[in-house]
Parts: sequence; C-alpha cells; structure tokens
Amino acid sequence: MTIVITGYATVSSAVEAMKNGAYDFLPKPFTPDEFRMITQRGLDRRRLVLETILLRREKEMLRENFAAIVSHELKSPLGAVQQNLFGLEFELEDKLNEEQKEKIGRMKSKINDLINLIHTWLRVISVDVKKLQENFQPTSIPAVISKAVENVQPQAIRKDIEIVPTVQEPLSLINGDEGTLVEVVGNILGNGIKFSREGSKILIKAEEKDKNLTIIISDSGIGISKEDLPYIFEDFYTGDIGQIVEKSSGLGLAISKRIVEAHNGSISVESELGKGATFTICLPVQ
Amino acid sequence: MNTQKQLLIIDDDPDYVAGIKSVLEKAEYSVDVAYNPKDGFLALQSKPYDLLLLDIMMGRGAEGVAVARKLRKDPKLRELPVLIITGIREQIAFLFPGQPVHPHFVELDELVEKPVEPKLLLEKVSALLKMSEEKKSQKKG
Repeated sequence: MTIVITGYATVSSAVEAMKNGAYDFLPKPFTPDEFRMITQRGLDRRRLVLETILLRREKEMLRENFAAIVSHELKSPLGAVQQNLFGLEFELEDKLNEEQKEKIGRMKSKINDLINLIHTWLRVISVDVKKLQENFQPTSIPAVISKAVENVQPQAIRKDIEIVPTVQEPLSLINGDEGTLVEVVGNILGNGIKFSREGSKILIKAEEKDKNLTIIISDSGIGISKEDLPYIFEDFYTGDIGQIVEKSSGLGLAISKRIVEAHNGSISVESELGKGATFTICLPVQ
Repeated sequence: MNTQKQLLIIDDDPDYVAGIKSVLEKAEYSVDVAYNPKDGFLALQSKPYDLLLLDIMMGRGAEGVAVARKLRKDPKLRELPVLIITGIREQIAFLFPGQPVHPHFVELDELVEKPVEPKLLLEKVSALLKMSEEKKSQKKG
C-alpha cells in the first residue's frame, strides 16, 4: 500500500505515481487532517483487499469440504437404506405378493434417484479447474471422440440411432484432460440420443482451422426452444419441453461448459424447436 | 470336502453391514464383522478367512486403503481375496474423472459400489472364492 508524498505536485505526476502502483497521492504542504484522511483511506482499502483474499480462501475450503461432507454424510445413510432394502427384498423374495414387490421397487427407484442426484451435484461442485489444468497433457481429439462414441454406443443401439463421425485427420494435439473431454462429448452425444427419434442419425465432426479445433455435434431431434436456448448451460436448467422425454438432472451441460472453459475453449449451441440441435465446442491448439 | 467359507467384513457403518451380512448368511457363508481397521487386523490374525469384504472410506478418510496395503505386505495375508465395497467412486472420480477405477491393491481383488444388488454381491464373492481356490490348487500341484 503506497501513498506518494511529494513537493512536486502536478496532476501528471499524480497520474504517473498511480500508474506505477501508488494507491494515493498527497502533495506538500498538507495539513495533519489531510494526511490522516489519505492514510485512513489507504488502510481501509488494504483491509478490504486482505478480507477478499481471506474470503476467497474460505470459499475454496468450503467447496472442497462440502463435497467431502456431502459425499460421506448424505450418501452413506442413503446407501445403507438402499442396501437394507435390497437385503429385505432378497430375503422375502418368495413371501411377497406382486403389489408388495412393486412397493419395494418404487422405494428402490426413488432412493436410486436421490443417490444419483447427490452424485451429480458433487460433480458440478468438484470440477476443480485448477487441479484439472495442473494435470493437462497433450490430448488427441480423435481419440476423445472415439472413446465418447464407444461409451454411448449401448444407448444409441437401444434406440437404433446411428452416430456418424467425420474426423478431419491429421488434427493437432490440444493441451488438456482426456477423461473430462470424453465426458463432455459423451454428455452431448447422450443428450442427442435422448432427444432424437428412433432410427435417426447424429453427426459428429472434428476439424481444425486457425489454431483452433472445433467439434460439431448435430442431431435431428426435438430441438430446443428459443426461450430455453439462452439458459441451457446453466445449472439445473431442464427447460420446458412439453413432451415426454427422459428425465434429466439439468446439470450435464453445466458441467460440460465448466470443463470446456477450463480448457480455455468455448461451447455454444444452435437450435430450433422441432429441428434438432447443433453443439459446437471450440478448443485452442497447444 | 466342502467346508463352510469364512468371510470377514471390515466396515464402519453397522447399518450398512446389516444389509449385506444377512444376504451372505442366507447364502450359507459364515460372516464375522469388524467395525474399524484395528479390530479388522486383530480378526485377520485370529483365524484364517477365505475372503475379506473391505470398505475404503472409514473414519476420517480412506482408512481402508491402509488395510489393503498392510495385507499386501503380510506374506500370510497377501493371497487373501478381497472384495472392496465402496461408496468412493465419486471421490476417485474427482481425481481421475472419466476413467473407470480398479485400484488393484492386492493380487486378487474386485470392486463393487455401495449399495450393491444382492445377486451381484453373491456373484462377485463366489467368483473371488473360486479364483482363490484355483490359485491354491495350482500351487499345490
């Protein structure tokens, strides 16, 4: 915290001093009052800066701890409940009638949803950008795409949906984390499958231009309405699609956005209701 | 000669343990339980077990990992098959996102997540016991 005191008092010297990092400027001669005032302002500012640093550190600790706490304290009891429900069902197999089995089925399903929800929340909170960036390696996008496609293949097959990759090779490597990128591409492909009709196609393209790699994923599914479009990457947004679609926790795209931005990239979407959606991921080359 | 198999569970959540113990006992296994690593080790020294079911997240952190490491170092226990039961996937996932996790702490181990379907649990247990039997007979022959 520097306050410059000088007998050479001009506006330009004041500006010069501030440019070089001084917080404030006190031209001579000055009264004790002026001195006190300027010094107090400087001290106040310093206090605020220190407070901000402390709060940021606390926030980070809380975030890390929260994940650990939620993980063990919430999931453990739920896991125990579910395990005992499983055990009960197992033991009473021959003694339960259809209705009773149905009741247990409903309980299992709800508890499973809860466990998955907690799991997903944790993922959102815990995409630790710094940790991710510390472990970046040269990554091949063609490899990311092929792994992601492989992961969603079972879902695609179930709905008779064909995923058509067009990867322009050779592509430069990017600096990143393969695992999370596979998750992002897999998430978007998964959404494409969820919201597409049976028998349709999903296209995934990868190309390089001007030191940037773009991955473009387009489907011909039900699309996203104009109203929903601006919010689609926000936490918990599930939109108001008005049709019966598979449930979503609304967090997959939020996590994906965080991961892409951790790679210094960008993600965007174009879509019209009834006309499918096209997601574009842009990543800078190493 | 088909003697009853001796199983040991090391897990700090008694409610959870109750859920799997009954399943295992219904399948005619003899099941002992230790609710912390220390008691677990005492139990392991007290009699020969055929399989260990081990929880990773105990106490303040991953105390189960310490158990697994000790097993690997002990020549008498190294060959003990271990079924790792854990709610830890998300923890490990944060460190290695997107990758399937199988730590392979000891030679013969498998991983299942809590909560586990009784049928899957019994399948894994019997598979591990079988692999362990085959290994033993290979050595004798």
